[in-house]
Order: sequence, then C-alpha cells, then structure tokens
Amino acid sequence: MQYKSQAVAKPYFIAAIGLFVGQILFGLILGLQYVIGDFMFPEIPFNVARMVHTNLLIVWLLFGFMGAAYYLVPEEAERELVSPGLALLMFWVFLVAGALTILGYLLVPYSGLAELTRNELLPTMGREFLEQPTITKLGIVVVALAFVFNIGLTILKGRKTVVSLVLLIGLVGLAVFFLFSFYNPDNLVKDKYYWWWVVHLWVEGVWELILGSILAFVLIKTTGVDREVIEKWLYVIIAMTLITGIIGTGHHFYWIGAPEYWQWWGSIFSALEPIPFFMMTVFAFNMVNRRRRNHPNKAAILWALGTAVMAFLGAGVWGFLHTLSPVNYYTHGTQITAAHGHMAFYGAYVMIVLTMISYAMPMLRGREAANSNRSQVLEMWSFWLMTVSIVFITLFLTGAGILQVYLQRFSADPLPFMVVQDKIALFYWMREVAGLVFLIGLLTYVASFFVGSREPEATVAVAEKA
Amino acid sequence: MNTTEPTRQLIRPCTLVYAVLMLLTLVTWGIGRAGLSGLGVSLLVLAFAMLKGQLIGDWFMGLRGVRGIWRWVVVIWLLIPGGLISLAFILSYRG
Amino acid sequence: MMSNNMETSAAAPVGVQPATRPAYPPGDLAIWIFILAELLVFAVFFAAYAFTRMNHVELFNEYQATLNRDAALINTLALLTSSYFVMRGVVAAREGNNALCARWIWAAVAMGVVFVVVKSTEYAHHLGAGVSLSTNDFYMFYLSLTFFHFMHVILGMVILAAVAVKARSGGYSVEDHTGVETGASYWHMVDLLWLILFPLVYVMR
Repeated sequence: MQYKSQAVAKPYFIAAIGLFVGQILFGLILGLQYVIGDFMFPEIPFNVARMVHTNLLIVWLLFGFMGAAYYLVPEEAERELVSPGLALLMFWVFLVAGALTILGYLLVPYSGLAELTRNELLPTMGREFLEQPTITKLGIVVVALAFVFNIGLTILKGRKTVVSLVLLIGLVGLAVFFLFSFYNPDNLVKDKYYWWWVVHLWVEGVWELILGSILAFVLIKTTGVDREVIEKWLYVIIAMTLITGIIGTGHHFYWIGAPEYWQWWGSIFSALEPIPFFMMTVFAFNMVNRRRRNHPNKAAILWALGTAVMAFLGAGVWGFLHTLSPVNYYTHGTQITAAHGHMAFYGAYVMIVLTMISYAMPMLRGREAANSNRSQVLEMWSFWLMTVSIVFITLFLTGAGILQVYLQRFSADPLPFMVVQDKIALFYWMREVAGLVFLIGLLTYVASFFVGSREPEATVAVAEKA
Repeated sequence: MNTTEPTRQLIRPCTLVYAVLMLLTLVTWGIGRAGLSGLGVSLLVLAFAMLKGQLIGDWFMGLRGVRGIWRWVVVIWLLIPGGLISLAFILSYRG
Repeated sequence: MMSNNMETSAAAPVGVQPATRPAYPPGDLAIWIFILAELLVFAVFFAAYAFTRMNHVELFNEYQATLNRDAALINTLALLTSSYFVMRGVVAAREGNNALCARWIWAAVAMGVVFVVVKSTEYAHHLGAGVSLSTNDFYMFYLSLTFFHFMHVILGMVILAAVAVKARSGGYSVEDHTGVETGASYWHMVDLLWLILFPLVYVMR
C-alpha cells in the first residue's frame, strides 16, 4: 500500500463480502421457493426474497466499486485521497441506510414500508431493482455525490491517467443515470422506457467502464506490461462498449410500446455487444502472456482472467442468445433471462470486485504483495467452486428456459405458465444443488481470509511451484 | 507505422485511382437518373461500388503494401455485405 | 497476435528497409480494431436493409424515388475528393512537410463540411415533409443508415481537425507520423461506407 488513505477501501470490501453472503443465502431460499412454493411463507414470501436477493447484489457491488475506487485512485493519482474522513463517513451512512432498507423489506409489508417512508410525497417505489424507499434513494444520491466528489477531486488534483479517467466517467455516469429512478411517469410505456435508462445503461454501459478500468489497473500492477499498451486497449474496448451498449438499450424496447424501429436498432446494436467483451478476453490473456514479471499473487491473476472469460460468456454469449428481436419474441421474461442474468452478473461484476479485493486486500492487511501460499490455494479453490457452480446454474436455467419457451410459447398447444413450471421443476432442483455448491465456494472464499495469515508471504518461486 | 516505399511515387497512381472513382460514381448516378432497374443493373451498380471500395482500401488506405491477413481486410469485408446484398436482390427478383 | 503491434505501432526504424512488406496497416493498430468493429456494424445494417427490402420491394422502390439522388452524387464526390486530399496529406506528413500536410487535411475537412451541409438540407426536406423513423420501413432504414453514417462523418471531421492542428504546430516528422495515418485510415473508412450506402439506398432498385 503506497498511500495511507487507501486504507478506507478495507471496510468497503468487508461490507461487500458480508452482503454477498447475505445475497447468496436469500438466493438459496428463493431457489427453493421455485419448487416448494410456501417455503418460509409467510415470513419471507417469494417477492420479498427476490427483492432482497437482487437489491443485496446491487448494494454489495456498489460497495465493491467504491472500495475499488478508493484503493485505485490514490495510486493512479499519486496522492492521498482528498478526504478519507468523508469516505469513512459515507461508508457508515451507506451501510446503515442499506441495512435499514433490507430490514424494512423483511419486517414490514412492502405497502406498509411505502406508507412508513412517505412514498406518496415523491413516489418512486414498486419497480424492479429500484424498490428502495425514496428516502433510501435520496441517501444513495448523497453517498454517490460525496463519493464522486472525493474521487473526482483526487483525480483532478493528482496525476491523470486513462485508467482513472475512465473510472471517473463510469462513476459519474453511474450517479447520473441513477437520477432516472426518481422519474416515475404515469404512462406505463414511458415508465418502463426510462427505467431501463437506469438498469440497462448501468450494467451494459457505465458499469462496463468501471469494469474495464479496474481490470486494466490490476493487469498493469500484476503483469508489468507497459501502461501505454494497456491504455490503448482500454480506449478501444470502451469505445466499442459505448457504441454498442447505448443504442443496444433498444433490445429492452421491443415489447413495451416503444416505436417499431427499436426492433432493428436494438437487434443490430445489441448483437454486437459481445465484441467489446471478446476484446477484453483477448486483452487479458495477451497481457498475462506477455508479462514482464511474475507477481506472487496468483489468486488475483486467476480472478482477472476469470473475469475476462466469464464476462464474455455470461454477458456476451448468453446475452446474444436472446437479444435478437425475433428470438426475444419467444424468450422474453423466461428462465433464459435468468440464466443470462446469473452468469453475466457473476462473470462481469462479481468477479471484477473479487479480483480487486484479491489484489488489494493482502496489502490492506499489511502484506507486502500477496497472501501466504496456503491462503491463496484456498482462495483459488473458492474461485473454481463458485465459477463452476455458476456455470451449472446457468446451464440448468438455460435448459429450464428452453423447455419453458417450447412448452409455453412455441408448441402447437401451449401450456399454461404454472403447468410448465411444474414440468421444469427438475431443472430448478438441480439449480438449487448447484447453488449450494456456490455457497460452499463462497464460505471457502471467506475462510481464505482467516487461513495461513501467520505463515510467510508467498514468493514468486514458491507460488510457481504450487 | 511508416511505409517503406518512396511516398512521392504514390501520388500519380492515387490521382488516377481518384479519377476512376469519380468516373464510376458518375456512371452509377447516371444509371439512377436514367431510371434503369432490374437485377442485372443492380448487381452491376453493386459491383462498381465494391470495386470502388477495393480501390479505396488498396490505394488510399495503403493496404496494397501490407502483407498477411490485413492486406485483405477490406476485400473480405466488401464480400460480406456485397454477397448478402446480392443474395437479397437475386431472391427478390426470383420471388 | 495483434497486440505485438500495439506495443510498437509507432515505428519501424527509419532508413532500415525491411525485406518484407509490413504486416500491419498504416496507422495505430487500435484504430484498425475499431474500424473492423465499425465495418461489421454497417455490414449488418446493409444486409438488414437488403433483406427487408426483399419483402417490401414496391414500397422501397416507391419511396426511393423521393430521395434526392443529385444531392447524394454531390456528397459522394465530396467524400471521394476529401479522401484524396487526406491521402495527399499523409504523403506530405511522411516527407516531414507539416505545413503542407495541414493544408491538405484542412481541405479534406472542408469537403466534409460540404457533405454535412448537403446532407442536412436533405434531412430538412424530409423532416419538413413529415417523414420520421416510424413512417415506413424504407424511411426507417434510410434515416437510420444515413444518420448513423452522418455521425461518423462528424466524428471523422473532429479527428481530422485534431490531426491538422497538430500538423500545423509541427507535431509530425518523417520518423513519427502515425497520428496522421491513424486519422486518415478512419476517414477512408467513412468514405468506404458511403460508397456502399450510396448505390444501395439511392440507386439499386
């Protein structure tokens, strides 16, 4: 760790991992409810479990992004953070607001939560992923503003690199597009239309910039390849991301009542969205193959390469599967979407945050560059457990989705939704088993922080023998 | 990357290429103005366009002096939309 | 692998004549990756136009007749001329003549201005006639394709202007003029796309 203020990243990372565990527990409850409908009812109904599962994901990823930014920016800007105190304060504000919101979901009926938080003053609740009470949303805006201010000023006052500028654009975009969550028009078409400006332009737009810059940072640090080479790749990748991703929003506008040209615009541009992800894969492997030195943190490099591959598969390939309008006509809102969602979020965003944690945490905990060999071996086990099980979750959901599309929408006599759900139950059971393996992987990951911490740090030679 | 051939010598052939490009454009425009249509005419116009694209790639973009796959990148690209457009026009005249 | 060049795209040493021709095109390889992606987008768009037309031949033929072919001719000639100017600019830069390079590149930008003005009057005419993306499939494609290309012309002009400004201040040399070639390659691509777009949308029927 070169700068003292980088230490503020640590609580963010710890909170992120904690919430990650929560997200997976609710995922398992939710997965079981697909096959045992009244499991934990009425304490945790399906809709609440789903809301907690998705909201926890977003919140912990945001914690991860913020932690990553607080760690990355001082090193790139070559100066301390403008205000480490503000960063810590915002950590507690965000954590408390997040915890209260989740408790609200769990303890009060959703409509009661809306009344309690005076939603009627500025109604923003009730939309998928944006379920948070208005007061929480305002809190998120405050946290985001303070965060962007802190990061932005540090960058502007220090050395400006492509990596940090791309990160800043991504973070500003993240904050700006979140503002559309306050726009809640009566017209249902417009409502959905602008809802995607938050959801899509986050995950297929500005978040990809954050992903790209974090990946570039970790690769610069671990491979020793020239910064100029990595920056050039970053430029090309983000340019393609923005060209395909922004107009690609159209793939959400097929069936909501938006004009017909979106069928074409959405299909053509989003069909090309895998390209930047493919470039990212080629990029990561190239840089690692051309490394100038062997970094002792093997686990971090494994995560970085894993991100590049899984983001391409999950976001790129599984996204392409159902992005063309004639295909989406049949697959819209089926388990195909769920399959894509799981692998894309894991491959792109979960893994990039874990990459950054894997790289930064040893230093934050006082190591020179890497954890002990034993800790790394355990962490790499967790990598494989989680990654392989998410592949299986995706495959099972894809199987469920294909069957669902056929039985419910494509066959000569389509069956009703619930009848089909019964017929694909086997896939849901297998998904649940894969989910359990994922939890084991996650617990292994957590354990890797407590194992071998008294043992000496891994060195290049030792790490290579392993 | 710097080219290795003496650059002065590029100007004369490129000027000739420019004249050919202008001429083919006028012919294409003339075909449109004369109201000519039909599969043969359409494919001819398309062939002119692909020839023009290939001249741009070879001479203006300088791919003529490159070896390997990059030498053919524009030609290969032209064949993709060119082939698909031809196919669509052939099918529409059949059907 | 492509990255080999991304590291050293600035230069084969001058005066050393490699026995073989270069393996990579002029300009920064990054721009070529970008050009490939752009070409792919347009290829898909062109094919979509042709196959949609296949199912609506009469509609497409009818509304194609409402387009201004003369304006398209002027624009094609303008882009071809600008590409020629850019080529002259590259030659000047390779010889280390920054002032001449800047003049040629500015001339190319001026041709770009011609294109933008002519295309804008076409758009004004159509929009004035109440045409929109939702009018019919032909206009949807006409407006989408040409406008997407139009944005590329503007981006290309910005890139060329940046090159010209740098050349004017003596920023290139016989040893290092990758920047000129990079901008030139992008501009030629803009021209190349229009060369397919013009016959496809305005002439073929």
